[in-house]
Amino acid sequence: MKSDTTLEQNEKTLRELLCDSSDFKTSDVETGDRHYRLFYLDTMVESVKIQDHIIRPLLHHNKSSVKEAVSILDYNETDLLSVASNELVEGKTVVQLDGESTLYLLGTEIIKERALNFPMNERVLRGSHEGLNENLNTNLNLLRKLIATPDLAVKSYQLGRRSKTKVSILYLRSLANDVLLNEFERRLEAVDIDYVDAPGFIQELIQDKQFTLFPKILITERPDRVRSYLMDGKIAILTDGSPDALILPVSFWSFFQSPDDYQVGWLFGSTIRFIRIVCFVLAIILPGIYVALVTFDPRILPFEIALTFQSSMQYVSMPPILEAITMLLILEILREATVRLPNPIGQTIGVVGGIVIGTVVVQSNLISNMMVIIVSLTGIASFIVPSYEMSNAARLLTYPFIIMSSIFGLIGLEIATILLMTHLVQLNTMGIPYFYAWFNKNTFQDTLFRFPIRYLKKRPTESMAQEETRLNSKKGAGN
Amino acid sequence: MFHLKKISLNQLVCLVTLTQVGVHVLTIPYDESRHSGHDSWMSILIGGVFAQLAIILIYQLGKRYPDQSLPQYIVLILGKPLGILVNALFAAFFAESTLMIVVSYADVMNRWVLFETPWIVLVGLSVFIVAFVAASSLRSIATLTQSFMGMFLICVVIICISGIGKGDWRHFFPIGTHGFGAVLKDTLPAFWAYAGYELLYYSFPFVACRKKSHILLAMSVANGLTTLFYFIISVIVMYNFSENQLKVISEPMVFILRKFRWPVVQSLDIVFMTIWLSVTTITAFVYLFLSARYLAFVGRKENRRHVLLVWVIASMVFGIGSWFADKQTLFSFIDFHHIMSILFTAVLPVFLLLVSFVRGKVMNE
Repeated sequence: MKSDTTLEQNEKTLRELLCDSSDFKTSDVETGDRHYRLFYLDTMVESVKIQDHIIRPLLHHNKSSVKEAVSILDYNETDLLSVASNELVEGKTVVQLDGESTLYLLGTEIIKERALNFPMNERVLRGSHEGLNENLNTNLNLLRKLIATPDLAVKSYQLGRRSKTKVSILYLRSLANDVLLNEFERRLEAVDIDYVDAPGFIQELIQDKQFTLFPKILITERPDRVRSYLMDGKIAILTDGSPDALILPVSFWSFFQSPDDYQVGWLFGSTIRFIRIVCFVLAIILPGIYVALVTFDPRILPFEIALTFQSSMQYVSMPPILEAITMLLILEILREATVRLPNPIGQTIGVVGGIVIGTVVVQSNLISNMMVIIVSLTGIASFIVPSYEMSNAARLLTYPFIIMSSIFGLIGLEIATILLMTHLVQLNTMGIPYFYAWFNKNTFQDTLFRFPIRYLKKRPTESMAQEETRLNSKKGAGN
Repeated sequence: MFHLKKISLNQLVCLVTLTQVGVHVLTIPYDESRHSGHDSWMSILIGGVFAQLAIILIYQLGKRYPDQSLPQYIVLILGKPLGILVNALFAAFFAESTLMIVVSYADVMNRWVLFETPWIVLVGLSVFIVAFVAASSLRSIATLTQSFMGMFLICVVIICISGIGKGDWRHFFPIGTHGFGAVLKDTLPAFWAYAGYELLYYSFPFVACRKKSHILLAMSVANGLTTLFYFIISVIVMYNFSENQLKVISEPMVFILRKFRWPVVQSLDIVFMTIWLSVTTITAFVYLFLSARYLAFVGRKENRRHVLLVWVIASMVFGIGSWFADKQTLFSFIDFHHIMSILFTAVLPVFLLLVSFVRGKVMNE
């Protein structure tokens, strides 16, 4: 819709376009023979900017045009009212000179953001303590500061027919694989949805359609972690309104890497990496092993240990499989309650969960002692995995393992393992395998263990980087 | 989309070793000691040498058609109708091998671990996992196999630790009293034990390597590992049991495992058999996969519905396998299978190589 030359007509149309919203305000500036009118949403603009950089210059330089007068970098012109109304919503101020149809769009938006903070969900002991926040521009700024090279490409998209959420794809031009890049850009552009809720929506909309419990996109809120993946030739997706960066393509092993591994020396780094992976496996199979041992094959255990198990189960009437599933469900309920409850009441859960459920359940012979130990160990083990999504996968996988082992004993456990492994090796991101054995020639350095930096010569295979070599010198600079 | 089809040499070694090693570990060297008695370890070694010869033959055959797998180039060697017939025979042989392995291990599980589980459930479950895996691509199967290498190594450690203890080295002496003929006779059952390298018929063009000779090297390493492993087992068994005892014990390894007591694990045989299930499954799913691939080439064009073929063959295997609850049928089936193995893994490559060689000569002239 073309703008009119009269101020009143335009104001009326804009007001209609903005649904007669009450925060739509106008203000008149008259200087000499000129009569300007400013349109803005007073909830979206910073009044100081309007006063200092629009009104005052207009009054002072009453001879020059608007472009010459105002001191605002974000300057645009249009004569379409629909464009103007879209810009108004984003916090622009629209200025019109009486008698002209040109609309001047001036950036005066107010920026309200959470201060940069610790990454809430990914704490580390050494290394950067900076986390991403909800403002896309701030996040891009953080990343540009960390990767100060013109090679870093930032491509922006708007997703959501109605919400018009800003989404940015980041990658290193000389590293990221073109085929992957094109395909993901195509997928992003093909998304036709009214609004997107990051990161969940984007994750589900762009990943391959393949049923799985395992996360195939890594989510992080640490700029340094985003940098390390970009340097591997991967692609990062940032969304306005969410402090989470999506990283892809990733392999199974990426979910067990933490920035800490590379800060504390390779020997200890390898140890904690190994413990993490062992705990992930334990979180899946430990209750299953216990159920298989006590219900099916107690003869595997030495006599004394079997007696200990027996004595703890003596007065418990529930079969071990029910015990295990009940206890795990209780643990899930406690966990969910702790997340939802406000902080001051949160401690109540500790008391109720720890004392009532931990102690009384055993004393009243509903659940055996041994089962409480096993389930607590499983719960703690699942917390150790650095990726929340991966630990969710472990929590869900526990149940089929318990059921299989209660039907077929240890053999059932083995069968469940084979099926799970088969599922893992069948997974792929656009044909790039998701899982590979850790002792492959080019991958063993940074999967199950973290080798010294001087051995991490190649980029991970799953990122399909254009240039594979990372470290050029034969030995580290130390030697 | 990326289509990664090639497997690495590392994966080839794991794939071939673990396909060769299977249910046999429990019975070695019972079948091989029928004639040669305490000299059965020689039969095992000679069996390995024969397997190596067969590998060289298959490699030579593959090298003549480096971009194709056997079901594709067999038409070039034998002509259309005969080639398709051989493909069908191969598919049948691999399906029969799958059946053989599934049934033998279900039998082992039935007798040692899951006594009360109905036979049909055991077979059904085994066939289900085998088919579930075999429905994936060669690359996925290779990765899976590679990941199970760890399980195999655990088993090797368990075997080595539990085998050393109360035994007698005098069981081996006097060496060679049974004569060379008896030793040679007993290499025939060993053929089945070493079978698995015929995977190379199919996988030759899918191996990523700088030089083709690396494939032969990888195959030899794999076969060497298997031979070494079997040799260790037969030595451990002979160390623990005398010839007379061996005449009645058909699964000597299980007895050795059961006899051994660890402070944390009382009956090691159940743990071993549980872990060993994954190694046996590998043999079975590789065979089922091959069977489906060969079946895909029976017909005018390649049948691309791999998943469907796998499940069709699997349901047939299940149908036949559920009748094998009787031990006697199993024994006669094993004898039949020994002959088939020799035919397909040793005689056929010689024949194909000869024909292909003659054809090449004729073409040149």
